[in-house]
Amino acid sequence: MRIKLIIGENEEIIEISGNKTVKNLLDVINIASETVVVKKNDCIVIDEEPVEDGDSIEVIQVIYGG
Amino acid sequence: MESIQNKVLKDIRKYKLLEKGDKVLLGLSGGKDSVMLLDILNSLRKRNIIDLVAVTIDEGIHGYREEGVEIAARNAKKLGVEHKIVTFKEYFGRTLDEIISKYTIKEGRRNACTYCGVFRRWILNRVARDEGATKIATGHNLDDETQSIVMNYLEGNIQNLTRIGPKSESLNDKFTIKIKPLREIPEKEIGLYVVARELDVHFAGCPFAIESFRAEVGSFIKELSREHPTIMYSTLRGFDKMKPVLKREFSRKYPIGVCEKCGEPSAASLCKACSFLKDWEDFD
Repeated sequence: MRIKLIIGENEEIIEISGNKTVKNLLDVINIASETVVVKKNDCIVIDEEPVEDGDSIEVIQVIYGG
Repeated sequence: MESIQNKVLKDIRKYKLLEKGDKVLLGLSGGKDSVMLLDILNSLRKRNIIDLVAVTIDEGIHGYREEGVEIAARNAKKLGVEHKIVTFKEYFGRTLDEIISKYTIKEGRRNACTYCGVFRRWILNRVARDEGATKIATGHNLDDETQSIVMNYLEGNIQNLTRIGPKSESLNDKFTIKIKPLREIPEKEIGLYVVARELDVHFAGCPFAIESFRAEVGSFIKELSREHPTIMYSTLRGFDKMKPVLKREFSRKYPIGVCEKCGEPSAASLCKACSFLKDWEDFD
């Protein structure tokens, strides 16, 4: 399936395979889920939220090192 | 979101952090913690329970602080809260960048966080007195507080441990009482709050923070929290239970004096900030 991934200023369409949750997606793109807030189609969602074809997923980093 | 706000207001009541009529000086960096606290304290200001003034300290960290200062100013303006911007340069004659670039660790320099912490505390205390504030509020969260507990324990700084808590206690009236209303709110929840409320926040990490012991301890606790999600809360709760005993056994009653140079309260003849400044004068 194809989703739109937004991280900060960057926006890209990515292809992912199989059924995935937000947490699975974050693992794939190597981002620690405890440091971010995720919006799916403009709504804040939890890590267990399923990701579906055509979704827009915005990853907002809220915790920085230090 | 309401539940986080209610939890903060409940803690303010539980620990008696504020009294009606208090004038609160808020340390507003523009980061998520202080912006959330501004949002909540402003609700008390609007209900005429407290008076509020925000202060942003520009340490002089090029490429990092400028944006935070702008965001802090925008937030204060939007809410109609009085806002002051003060700098290390005006109080100490040099920016943090200048301090760090001029001296090396070999020449006796400490790490950036040591200077930053001492100078920021000095400024907050001075500005609070100048403003006639009765409380200083900071946005320290559960993650920060747990790090402080573990850091001081690991380093054996038991005297420092006796001073950790939601509200400072000092016998010296030149020290304005400091309060931490977000002390029991996890950092991640603060992130959720500001995103959900669509608050204008400076999301960036201080470039100097990486070199700190706090950062090492912070990563270690975050790692533990993955498998043990309540570990920070239990660390804080356990510590708060032990604290009265620690205080009884280890709290040192300093003779209350003032720094002979700046007049701020100090246990020694020179306060920590003035002793750094003196070292540099000798070095120059």
